[in-house]
Amino acid sequence: MNKLLSILYIVFCSTIISQETPGSIQQKSILLLDGTAHIGNGQVIKRSAIGIENGKITMVENSLVRTIDTSNYDEIIHIKGKHVYPGFIACNSTLGLMDIGAVRASRDLYEVGEYNPNIRSIIAYNTDSKITTTVRTNGILLGQICPKGGVISGSSSLVQFDAWNWEDALIKADEGIHLNWPRYYNRSKKDKSQLLSNYQKRGKEIVEFFNRAFVYQKNSKTATTNIRLKAMNGLFNGTQQLYVHANYVKEITDIINFKKEFNISKLCIIGGYDSWMVAKQLKENNISVMLPRIHSLPKNNHDNIHLPYSLPSKLAESGVLFCIQNSGDMQEMITRNLPFMVGTAIAYGLDYETGVASITLNAAKILGVDDKLGSLELGKDATLFVSKGDAFDIKTNKVEISLINGRLISLDNDQIRNYNKYKKKFNID
Amino acid sequence: MVVSSPKKKARPNSPQYESSNKGPYYWNEAIHPEYKAIVDFTFNEKSNKELLKKGFGVVLSHREDGIARGSGFVSTLNTFSNKSLLLNDAACFYSFKKGSSNQVYPSSLMGCIALLRQFNYDADWYNNSTPAFKDYSIETYLNSLNKPQLFITNNNLDLLRAAKIANEFNLNYVIKGGGDEYERINEIKNTGKTFIIPLVFPKAYDVEDPYDASKISTRKLRHWLNAPLNLSILEKNEITFAITSKGLGAEAFLKNIRLAVSKGLSKESAYKALTETPASILMMSEEIGKIQPGKWANLIICSDEFFENKGVILENWVQGNPTILSISKEIDIRGKYNLNTNQNIRTLIVNGDRNKPKATIQYNLISDSITNGDLILDPVTGKPFKITKKKIVPVSISLEDNKINLSYQLNNGAFILSGVVNFDSGSWDGNGQNPNGNWIQWTAIRNEKFEVKKEIKIFTNDSTIYSPIYPSASFGFDTLPVNQSFLIKNTTVWTSENDGILFNTDVLINNGEIKYIGNVLDLVDKSTIIIDGSNKHLTAGLIDEHSHIAISRGVNEGSHSVTAEVRLLDVINPNDVNIFRQIAGGVTTSQLLHGSANPVGGQSALIKLRWGANADQMKFENAPGFIKFALGENVKQSNWGDRNTTRFPQSRMGVEQVYYDAFTRAKEYGESWKLYYNTKKKGKHILPQPRKDLQLETLLEILNSTRFITCHSYVQSEINMLMKVADSMGFKLNTFTHILEGYKVADKMKKHGAGGSTFSDWWAYKYEVKEAIPHNASLLNAMGITVAINSDDAEMGRRLNQEAAKGIKYGGMSEEDAINMVTINPAKLLHIDDKVGSIKVGKDADLVLWTENPLSIYSKVDKTFIDGKLYFDLNKQPEKERALRKERASIISKMIAFKNAGGKVQKVKPPNEILHNCSLIKDDGN
Repeated sequence: MNKLLSILYIVFCSTIISQETPGSIQQKSILLLDGTAHIGNGQVIKRSAIGIENGKITMVENSLVRTIDTSNYDEIIHIKGKHVYPGFIACNSTLGLMDIGAVRASRDLYEVGEYNPNIRSIIAYNTDSKITTTVRTNGILLGQICPKGGVISGSSSLVQFDAWNWEDALIKADEGIHLNWPRYYNRSKKDKSQLLSNYQKRGKEIVEFFNRAFVYQKNSKTATTNIRLKAMNGLFNGTQQLYVHANYVKEITDIINFKKEFNISKLCIIGGYDSWMVAKQLKENNISVMLPRIHSLPKNNHDNIHLPYSLPSKLAESGVLFCIQNSGDMQEMITRNLPFMVGTAIAYGLDYETGVASITLNAAKILGVDDKLGSLELGKDATLFVSKGDAFDIKTNKVEISLINGRLISLDNDQIRNYNKYKKKFNID
Repeated sequence: MVVSSPKKKARPNSPQYESSNKGPYYWNEAIHPEYKAIVDFTFNEKSNKELLKKGFGVVLSHREDGIARGSGFVSTLNTFSNKSLLLNDAACFYSFKKGSSNQVYPSSLMGCIALLRQFNYDADWYNNSTPAFKDYSIETYLNSLNKPQLFITNNNLDLLRAAKIANEFNLNYVIKGGGDEYERINEIKNTGKTFIIPLVFPKAYDVEDPYDASKISTRKLRHWLNAPLNLSILEKNEITFAITSKGLGAEAFLKNIRLAVSKGLSKESAYKALTETPASILMMSEEIGKIQPGKWANLIICSDEFFENKGVILENWVQGNPTILSISKEIDIRGKYNLNTNQNIRTLIVNGDRNKPKATIQYNLISDSITNGDLILDPVTGKPFKITKKKIVPVSISLEDNKINLSYQLNNGAFILSGVVNFDSGSWDGNGQNPNGNWIQWTAIRNEKFEVKKEIKIFTNDSTIYSPIYPSASFGFDTLPVNQSFLIKNTTVWTSENDGILFNTDVLINNGEIKYIGNVLDLVDKSTIIIDGSNKHLTAGLIDEHSHIAISRGVNEGSHSVTAEVRLLDVINPNDVNIFRQIAGGVTTSQLLHGSANPVGGQSALIKLRWGANADQMKFENAPGFIKFALGENVKQSNWGDRNTTRFPQSRMGVEQVYYDAFTRAKEYGESWKLYYNTKKKGKHILPQPRKDLQLETLLEILNSTRFITCHSYVQSEINMLMKVADSMGFKLNTFTHILEGYKVADKMKKHGAGGSTFSDWWAYKYEVKEAIPHNASLLNAMGITVAINSDDAEMGRRLNQEAAKGIKYGGMSEEDAINMVTINPAKLLHIDDKVGSIKVGKDADLVLWTENPLSIYSKVDKTFIDGKLYFDLNKQPEKERALRKERASIISKMIAFKNAGGKVQKVKPPNEILHNCSLIKDDGN
């Protein structure tokens, strides 16, 4: 059956010339046999049988204890010794909104003005970004695409990374609104008391805006249309999540109160460097966290030198729902290192399968799509990949098969083509 | 005294490259030794008085502007100002701050240092030759070298940097420090210099909120604790110092000097530092500094000993003129008196400031009780209730010598009294007028003295002994690691040599060297510390070819296109916690590079990460010098905004010509020296000596192959271009750093003999890196080019092992080749592979023990050795953290106690730290 796998490769490598063509709808049923399946919910099946039909997972079994009827499948792919993971999810991502950071024309992530809840990232999402094709080759198949800047940046949407256009890419539109909480500790040389008053002033402004939005949705029939306020409706009726970007205890404490004050049912903190210090309160208030980039320096000189590495394990102990995201400098291209950040977190205490969940099922839960994505469970979308080895370890992450909704996607990209071009020029094999 | 600040010049519309000072002056506006502060001097009554109140008689004033600031003057605080100037051009001032100059150069600390050095070389040359021009700046400088030379710095790092310049040019700088000398007291003592030490102590922080407290750096906490001990530590180390009161008002100055005395500074030393030593620094010991016949009659009269808390300066005599600052205690009239006016006795309370007392008359007024207009009657007696009201009447009081005037208003009118205070100050008497205009006699007899509180209450912490920590940052050492003999047993050794990976092997290190590799068994003596290396992996210490950690105030001298004269070694900051963080990531050697803001940047600093050492001790000994070059977007200012469009070059075409121009100049410079040396008559040089040019000298070193180039590069065209420039000018490109399109010109690089130091997978952050590929390192490696993986980033620097592993993932490299990219390959690129970079007998014992395969994501650094000393131990880290937490908590609790006792505190300000990378132009203020 390895023969079939190589046939699949040949098909992909030969038919694609420069731009990756989105995979076509699954026609034939596939059976992934004998790979180690990391389900995403904490479970692992060392020798698994995963059946995929019409874009869905139709069977997940332990092939050691069950006899698998292979005759039902058009293609049987033997992956013994290899690993299967649910497609990794890049949360709080800007992929497709910016390709070359230094080139103004390529930047589509900031809008002018401070309160822009009506801004929608999805319509600017570029499915043909050259970066995305280098990200999915490492197992990242889905992304929450977020606008940036201002106080309220706008709404984010969940997409998959193999599409003809943004409509095609869309999984969940406008699933949440992003609020950049004012910074309590601002790195400014100004007097602290002034900073504090700025923090409070900013906080009041936000409360006032939310008050207006709250009143607006109550009286939406009588009021004249205000598209900014209207865009906030989903936060109050629970159809949209409020993502609040903040790091420190003082900010998080205020955010918890804010959530109560406006009775916001879904709230997720993005960042949360200090979240482990207030984990109990976060759990009590049903607040989830998208932890900051693992590969970063501690924020205080006297912090444990490995603190950013161990944030996931610290939070995991508390039972707060969390996932790992990667915003920061050059975040678009660094997205491909997301699995390795999980690897580092595992080195610093995170349980392996919780590590899997931290960029699969947990993310799907936060995004509200765990009914169809995030794990290798019956009935879910067949959005998954096979890696030759442990996908969290750099030297063994080698994605061989990648499926989105059962569609086999190309694992080629410009970088690989360039490499091959020059290998050929210099006669290197 | 007030010397007016320079007028703020309007920021020019485009960067100003030339001096706006037209005339026979030095080319750079920050160098103006010809400036005389006296020109901008104005007498200011208030600041004069403030200095008198501190007890000073003579001050040295200058204008704080520029690098060579010009001269200051010595004046007395005599208010008869026509007598006050004792000496104009009394001393010359220098600093590392550019000041009000709008000229772009220098933009960094290393630029300031380079400029000052070049200026000194220029002055030497001017002095020893017959230049065909006049430079008034240099001439004034030369003429004033016999005067005291004062260098103003604000911290011990700058202080030591100034001392180095003094040594280089044989200048006798007196250096003003920052009050943190105790942190590096041995180094400071070894300079042999005299210092001027400020008395400004850091304010305590308001740390009642633990989250706020967590934002204060450990160094700041410690400095609050230790700063008051500074002077006593200087004294104990027999360092000569004067004290400056700059930055303090009179009250704060007196408080702080007494605080320093209470912390162990002897009164003799303190006195000397305020009198004799400054007089001698100013070379004015003949006139001032002691009470002696023939000297100026500058003296202060104190109520008690000056350095005692109860001491009050009563009078300050300057040139024989007294200023009364405080009325002597003998006529402290405060207290409670019985004031008797015509047999009416009332209580008079005198309180307030001793020199400006306030007074009130207090008596009881008895009246009927009335509510809503009705008399309230006592139900028993039927008579109105009597109520007693305490009445307080303000008294205006004035006291001149022993004459006293009182006036006050009672119900029946005003009393005006005049009299004298008798000697014991507790009894007054005199005459006055009552409201009727009749003359009356009065007396006031004190029956209670005003309780005199301590005149100046000093709040402080209880710290009395300074325990040094190296460096005074988080995770500093209280005792520095020492050389020991270690035997790492039964481990997997990644030799980075032909031997490849050895299993179950022992490695013995002793005396800082690798002594033995193999099976040692009983060879070791008892003092050898045995480390179980089973299931662990040992590699050579990692080498980061491209780092920007541990740099003070600017990684770019980004002003000019060529700045070969600036040196990173001048600006090492050994206190950067990132040094320790890198060690914890297995890095033992880092090349600190200049940024990429210009085609020719500055000279690199190669350091071993000897955490705790001083800046000089960090230097990698006997390593050849390097310099940073840069190509592409950064040097052509593509992303610098619309203001920066006038510096040449603005295109890659211009970059080539910058190099041709620079190396052509360097060659001609070399020729002129050759000619000078070779043209002799009777053994004597007959040609005028060429001017020493630090920039061209550095470029000449490149041409002479004594300095090597690391060139920031991205796009194939420019890489190719620079190799062609090098070939035609006769030099070599040693290393292309970043070299993201190296894979396109690998054949050409190989032919030229250049190595590559690249990012593992960075791309797409700017236009010129859109063709970068993560397979670059593997392809270069396969082509037989020496290739290293570098960080350019303080965070990634501590995960270089992971970055190396990407060579396996993307390019299918072998594990040995991958680890070599962060060990022996960078060592080869840096020409230090004879000392470090592999595990080989005789090499430096710079080693890292890993918990697993070092290329695995799950691997952690277990131990890091540098020069055979154990600098990092994962197992000891929790203990180290506990100790740090405890120390911080202890200082924080002291701050809280201090606040509760009434001490003043400031709000916590978050730290302002900037991490350097290649393209950072800003100065981070550290």
